[in-house]
Amino acid sequence: MVTIVVNGAETPVKSSPDTPLLHVLRNELGLTGPQFGCGLAQCGACSVLLGDEEVRSCVLPLAEAVGKAITTLEGLPGRWARSRGAPSHGESPLHPVQQAWIEEQTPLCGFCQSGMMIKATELLEHTPEPTTAQIKEAFTTSGPSPHLCRCGSYTAIIEAVHRASAIMREG
Amino acid sequence: MPVPPADSARLPVLTRRKLLQGGGVLMVGVALYRLQTAGPVGRSLNPAMLNSWIEIRPDNTVLLRTGNSDFGQGTVFTAYRQIVAEELNMSIEAITTIVTGDTDRTPDGGGSYGFLEAGSPNVRKAAAYTYQALLDLGAERLGVPREKLVGEDGAFSVGGRRVTYGDLVKGRDLTLTISVQERWPAGMRIVGDPPTKPVSQYKIIGKSIDNSAIKSKVSATEQWVTDVRLPEMWHARIVRPATLGSKLVSAGAVDSKAFPTARIVVKGDLVAVVSPDEWEASQAALQVTGDTKWTEWQGLPTNAGLYETLRKADWASTPVQQGKNSKEGIRPLLDGAARTLKATYQVPYMKHAPIGPTMAVADVRDDVTTVYTHTQNAQMLRRQIAQMLGVGLDEVVIRTFAGPGHYGRSNGGNAGAEDEAVILSKELGRPVRVQWTRAEDMQWSTQSPAAFSDIEIGLDAKGRMIAFQVDHHMPAMNDNRLIGAVLAGLPTLPPPTEKPPVYGKSTLNLLWDRWTYEGTTEIMERAHGTRQIGQDASPLAIGLRDHSMRSPGQFQQNFARELAISEAAALAGADPLEFRIRHATDPRVVGVLEAVRDASGWQPRPSPAPDHASDGERPVRGRGVSMLYRLDSYWASVCEVSLVPSTGVVTVERCVVAVDPGIVINPKQLQRQVEGGVTMGLSQALKEEVMFDQSGVTATDWAGYPILTMAEMPEIKVVLLNRPEVGCYGGGSEGGNVLAAPAIAAAIHDATGKILRRFPFTPANVLPVLGSG
Ligand code: FES
Ligand code: FES
Repeated sequence: MVTIVVNGAETPVKSSPDTPLLHVLRNELGLTGPQFGCGLAQCGACSVLLGDEEVRSCVLPLAEAVGKAITTLEGLPGRWARSRGAPSHGESPLHPVQQAWIEEQTPLCGFCQSGMMIKATELLEHTPEPTTAQIKEAFTTSGPSPHLCRCGSYTAIIEAVHRASAIMREG
Repeated sequence: MPVPPADSARLPVLTRRKLLQGGGVLMVGVALYRLQTAGPVGRSLNPAMLNSWIEIRPDNTVLLRTGNSDFGQGTVFTAYRQIVAEELNMSIEAITTIVTGDTDRTPDGGGSYGFLEAGSPNVRKAAAYTYQALLDLGAERLGVPREKLVGEDGAFSVGGRRVTYGDLVKGRDLTLTISVQERWPAGMRIVGDPPTKPVSQYKIIGKSIDNSAIKSKVSATEQWVTDVRLPEMWHARIVRPATLGSKLVSAGAVDSKAFPTARIVVKGDLVAVVSPDEWEASQAALQVTGDTKWTEWQGLPTNAGLYETLRKADWASTPVQQGKNSKEGIRPLLDGAARTLKATYQVPYMKHAPIGPTMAVADVRDDVTTVYTHTQNAQMLRRQIAQMLGVGLDEVVIRTFAGPGHYGRSNGGNAGAEDEAVILSKELGRPVRVQWTRAEDMQWSTQSPAAFSDIEIGLDAKGRMIAFQVDHHMPAMNDNRLIGAVLAGLPTLPPPTEKPPVYGKSTLNLLWDRWTYEGTTEIMERAHGTRQIGQDASPLAIGLRDHSMRSPGQFQQNFARELAISEAAALAGADPLEFRIRHATDPRVVGVLEAVRDASGWQPRPSPAPDHASDGERPVRGRGVSMLYRLDSYWASVCEVSLVPSTGVVTVERCVVAVDPGIVINPKQLQRQVEGGVTMGLSQALKEEVMFDQSGVTATDWAGYPILTMAEMPEIKVVLLNRPEVGCYGGGSEGGNVLAAPAIAAAIHDATGKILRRFPFTPANVLPVLGSG
């Protein structure tokens, strides 16, 4: 039994230490935002934030997540609340990235989009006002692999990141 | 989130036939309303009951049921809601509940394709019939003739008195029957023509309402198929045969020290490893894979030999299909033409490549088998599972959930894992979840068939196209077999053959790509079909299994046709866009071409460009055009590319697309769907080709089957042409993926003077053509 910090809460888990974090999140904790897309760190469907870095939970052994703060799609509202010093328990409003994803009607099937929103959050925390070129760079070459969308939502994602940036700057 | 097992109570069994006889026309006389709820009949809804389709609830909200499930098109959450709200004169917010795809909870069945042209008439008619019934109820309640009533915001008002639809149904027992017809495999169709709202009075159709499923997906409240967990459920991984034709020699054993709770299940050539723990199942499966022995098989032609093998295939046993306006006797025109084009065009195998590999959960009980999945055709899957188990249809329930887009792969029922989950659940006596790996999804799923087309075009001395002939060749699509059943030796459909049994698929190839240059009347279009490659050679009868993929068949045919038209324009010394307009007679063909011309700032001139070059390190640029008619929608695109001849790297810089779908129901959603379709088409054109050797598909991951990344995205400009006067909803965005390949090929010719008649436009394919004389 080890304890990990997920979405701001200390959480004991039973899975063996070599279990990929993705299985722990989905099967043991019922956190189903991250999806299984490849299990090979090649697509980004399973992305979560470890501290403030986007990682692929499909290849990250549980043991390596111990002691670091994990944020999944479910934890984005709380993360946004905490970053503004607001109480993060209970119902927090959606993270600006999530708001922008809805306003821009970004997902098609949506299966890749949890990972896309995690990547967008990482980008906007480091680069609050990214150019389109920086967005493309972030989603293509900054991580272990490009974030892949088979439905072709890249144009909508670029527009949504710009919108999220505007919402975040308004606070 | 756990899902409760399906209700296993035995219900009275009614056959479809009896149901249909029971259905009459809509009985709008108030005296005829009596108790009848939309409950399950033999684990099916009675499609002849109007409230199986649409329920008005006492709180003045509406529930809509549709056998179609959403694969990212969003149609059931946007357009269908808009259509219902429009016909009922209610607000969009009142359409609160949509039940999709479940075989025991939806009335119509059919496939999740053709949402608008095939599915929307049912939705519209169900809503229109319901509105007629509400008019009767309102007239009775308010004591005025029904002609005096007009619904507004879910209520009727007369002389200061107002009654909501919810009030009208409250406490009433209503029987509203309608006539339906079963049209296999398209599902139930509502017949009759209830009065519908004139297009000129539309208030909700045409508005950009949000897709209600997006919010739940973005805020992590959606229940995805991947989230289904049942009590006592085990996880499974399949150990696949070494090749697409290997039989099992001996299965390895699970190392029980390393994997204490894992077990192996062997049934024929189906080998699976199961465990209560998913990670243990996948680790143990890897270990067992290493210890399992299979026979060798080498019966595929490899990529290098593909087109030669296709050319030599048996195209004579399958009847040739001719296009509608094809004429015999155009040979003399072709032979006597002032200038002629004669060329062959090739399309590779491509993968649907859903971003999540296929998975399913099955729960086999004594009296009912429930499959939790993500399928485009739940009723077809239900039939296939019943066939495999040798049980009646009423003993199978399919529940569908949100999942990764399949782009046609599951429109014949299964996506891959469902039958394996059923076989294993039956074997273990507990619910089983089968998750395919990325490698299995690349190597063991169906794919879009490869194809080639021979085209001849004759031009007269003035450069007018006087004759056009095409012979399209493509192996069978829609291999709907359950692959687990094939491996386990259980009953399933046969592979596509020349003379298929009922519910089987044939090797027929159809003329999918309608001729759009009707100014040229001397045409001959033929489509030739054959069996799947490797199917007969494989001891498992597997080979390269094919299935329809977004714009199936038409993708293959339109690539050849549109590139040939661009080449013919070049031969005529004409601008390719003007050449197209000059040969068109349908005003919608002309309209969409003019729209893309204007939106792209197209300057007329013939191809290739005056400064074209096929060597050197300096980038050269070109532009190309393509057009398409599909499902009552008209499409045209312009692609602008740059290319470095020394490296063969092609970059698409801008893509302008015009679409005329008739009535635009929801501009924002259509725009997003079109962007998605066009992006998929760019990916197919620039990157996609299934690589295979003599034994099977060699791609195991996204490195072996790359798709477009965000960095490679050009600017996409979409022009929507709304044509309310057409009176129909067109075909959504499906055709969007067809446009890029022929337009990019034409643009490469414009830039370099060289023609690539096959894609993907990768350096490996581009460089040899640039270097050719
Ligand atoms: S599932 Fe982890 S990167 Fe694809
Ligand atoms: S939205 Fe379907 S894979 Fe990205």
